[in-house]
Amino acid sequence: MKKAIKWILWIILGIGLILIPKIFGIYYTNFFVSLAIMAVFSQSINIELGYTRILNFGHAMFFGMGGYGAAQALALIPGMPILGAVLCGMLGGGLLALVLSPLVVRVSGMACAMLHVAFNALFFMLAMKLRPLTGGEDGISGFPIPPFNIPGIISIDMTNPLNFYYFAVAVLGISMWLMWYFTKTPFGQIMIGIRDNPKRVNYLGFKVPESRALVYIVGGSFAGVSGSMYALFQNLFSSDATSGLNSFQPVLMTMVGGIGTFIGPIIGSAFFSVVEELARRYTERVELVMGLTLIIVILFAPMGFMGLYRDLKARWGKAPSLPKI
Amino acid sequence: MDPTTAMYVSQGIHGLAYGMILFLVASGVSLIIGMMHIFNLAHAGFFMLSAYFTYQFVAWTGNFWLALLLAPIATGFCGMLMERFLLRPLRGSGVIGDLILTVGVALCIDALVKVIWGTANKPLSKPPLLQGMVHFAGLDYPYYRLFVIGLAVVVLLIMALLLYKTRIGKIVRAAVSDNDMVNALGINIPLLFTFVFGVGIWLAGVAGAAIAPILSVFPGLALQMGMDAFIVVAVAGFGSLRGAFMVSILFGLMNSYGVQFISQLAPLSMFIFMAIVMIFFPHGFFGESEEE
Amino acid sequence: MNILETKGLFHDYSGLEVLFDVNLQIEEGERHAIIGPNGAGKTTLFNTITGTCCPSRGKVFFKGKEITGYPPYKLTRLGMGRSFQLTSTFDRLVTFQNVRLAVLSKRGIRFNLFKKVDKMTDVNLETLEIIKRINLDQEILVPASLLSYGKHRSLEISMALATNPDLILLDEPTAGMSRDETHTAVEMIKRLTAGKTVVVIEHDMDVVFSLADRITVLHYGKILATGAPDEIRNNQAVKDAYLGESENGGITTRHSA
Repeated sequence: MKKAIKWILWIILGIGLILIPKIFGIYYTNFFVSLAIMAVFSQSINIELGYTRILNFGHAMFFGMGGYGAAQALALIPGMPILGAVLCGMLGGGLLALVLSPLVVRVSGMACAMLHVAFNALFFMLAMKLRPLTGGEDGISGFPIPPFNIPGIISIDMTNPLNFYYFAVAVLGISMWLMWYFTKTPFGQIMIGIRDNPKRVNYLGFKVPESRALVYIVGGSFAGVSGSMYALFQNLFSSDATSGLNSFQPVLMTMVGGIGTFIGPIIGSAFFSVVEELARRYTERVELVMGLTLIIVILFAPMGFMGLYRDLKARWGKAPSLPKI
Repeated sequence: MDPTTAMYVSQGIHGLAYGMILFLVASGVSLIIGMMHIFNLAHAGFFMLSAYFTYQFVAWTGNFWLALLLAPIATGFCGMLMERFLLRPLRGSGVIGDLILTVGVALCIDALVKVIWGTANKPLSKPPLLQGMVHFAGLDYPYYRLFVIGLAVVVLLIMALLLYKTRIGKIVRAAVSDNDMVNALGINIPLLFTFVFGVGIWLAGVAGAAIAPILSVFPGLALQMGMDAFIVVAVAGFGSLRGAFMVSILFGLMNSYGVQFISQLAPLSMFIFMAIVMIFFPHGFFGESEEE
Repeated sequence: MNILETKGLFHDYSGLEVLFDVNLQIEEGERHAIIGPNGAGKTTLFNTITGTCCPSRGKVFFKGKEITGYPPYKLTRLGMGRSFQLTSTFDRLVTFQNVRLAVLSKRGIRFNLFKKVDKMTDVNLETLEIIKRINLDQEILVPASLLSYGKHRSLEISMALATNPDLILLDEPTAGMSRDETHTAVEMIKRLTAGKTVVVIEHDMDVVFSLADRITVLHYGKILATGAPDEIRNNQAVKDAYLGESENGGITTRHSA
């Protein structure tokens, strides 16, 4: 019975996603794509920050590696398939995480956060200065967006926004599902264990540093996916997207939604995107609205929306409340 | 003295002045971290706010000295309000809440400044008394920068006296090392927190007011100072005032000589420096590793 | 055969000697208690054995193999389990998840990324069984941090046991428990550790004498005496050491909590 309801919900969600362009028109379809990219980006930081407590405040580096990876792959290699470009982005993010992982393994806590801000700033500077590689502030643009090809069967034009929407939903949906699955494996339990009590995890016979490194690489890879989708979506990737500010945004979204819960970053991204869109449309002071929203949300829901939901549920006696982190 | 040496010396003075300003800001950040374990991301925002207050007071009264006195106090008061009405209700909900809140405040300050004063540069002239150069040993020193250095030294001496010679200073130092202990002694910790937060913001305010005539006042001030102060605190280590002082001065000098010799790479070099330091000293030069 | 042996173990903590030439021999299958006044270095001894910190000198042997300075996870895999004096569980995870992590470790499931843990029936069944054995089946879905103190301690001990170690080191398993809770806990420890080697640090002499086959007395980082409970009770040096600071829980059978 419960399973049936679950399936029905999934089907409704699927139909809803298919119908979005028909109902809302192309402007909001594009809005939805950028929201979904942000959601995957936020989720990839949530896995590190919320699940494992790796204080990575330089996530835009991995986003950047994804974006540059995909853009350069398309610009330099003729005949690069679109999924190949996404894969290049994913590899880019993962590779950078692999290179940086020895540091994360050695350092934890606030020092880890500082280290990431430092590296992010360095990365941003390099992205601006290394013009031959990154195009600097103008970025890499105008690279071809190849059609989605399954040889002999089908070839879908990806410059059509509607087609791209379905492609993006598929890629981002699969990424989201993979990350969800990741948190549900035994390893996912070890991750949460490391967040709560690394010493105990060590004494249970698990290797903490290696586990942290693995989470870091997975998080970096999916940030790479979101970066590459961003590059494909905009047909442009510039150094702006790798700035420290862009590292902070998914963290804020995750926190506002509810850190350490899977649904939190999705809610947070949706909330942020909608508030930003409304602010842009009806006021001239986007920053002010965002700042005030942040303050209000945090005063009333210090653990984000999911924390608020849990507290309310606890108040009605349905579930025990959890300690704050 | 030949022109090259003259250039070295005058760059040194520039660097020293900037380093002192930087230290005023960084010491506030350090004080708040040490005392309340809050990394205040809105700190540089208050620094900028004070610069704007200074501009406004000068515009109203025409008296720079009055502005220099009042602007930091007004800024410190704003900081106390923030602590009392925003940070205090949030106490105990963890690092994450504090972080979002301070980002929110930083965004608000940034936006408010633009709403009230616009985005254009607001020039502020140096007070007549401090315009011009002082001649010594065949060299010209800009008066105002010497004054900034002197002001910072005076403020720091006052702070040191407060911290080491008064009862409240002793309590603050005790609270930095052990909050519960001081609480047990029957000292009003929330009030103390508000006070210390206010003092930390006031320090940033002094820096903002002092720097207003050197740099022009504009909305990007917070980001620029925020980044620099952040690097200082990170390289020095959390809660270490001594470390923050040395790194600030080093940073100021590196900055001014860096601009001279490798102007293209000066900003980059700071970050490379920071990255290298943090690889080998993850907790900063003077910081202690925290227990997980 | 000695399952655990330390040879000339020294440890100094910024100049202060905490352990001084400790030679400990634990026989396979025995229940060994380590007692001593506060600050005698009992927990430090555990820490140097289980890899929290390295001894400054000396060697540790486990099952005849030198393990000095091995990290905790390696020792756990070799078959050593440990509980902590200050309860150390996963606070935001529920009882079930806490124990399940230990079961996963025991079965060597570490980097498995292809199966959902909820679908691993045998793991979950075993977890349930362990929880029943420690009488926590009512609290199976309660976050560890919300358990009552006694139950939280039981969880702590059961997690050290759930990896099925050959040697179990318990650091004050009954610390802070009420008399009833202590009694239950001791029965539980006896039941769950049947046939295994147990080393236990304990202040409560009731527990010590009801649990231990042999006792080692640690005093200012040195071993004062080792022997059967009766020998220790009658040992003059031990009496002197304890009488010297009778405030600190003399060697009577008075309950100390």
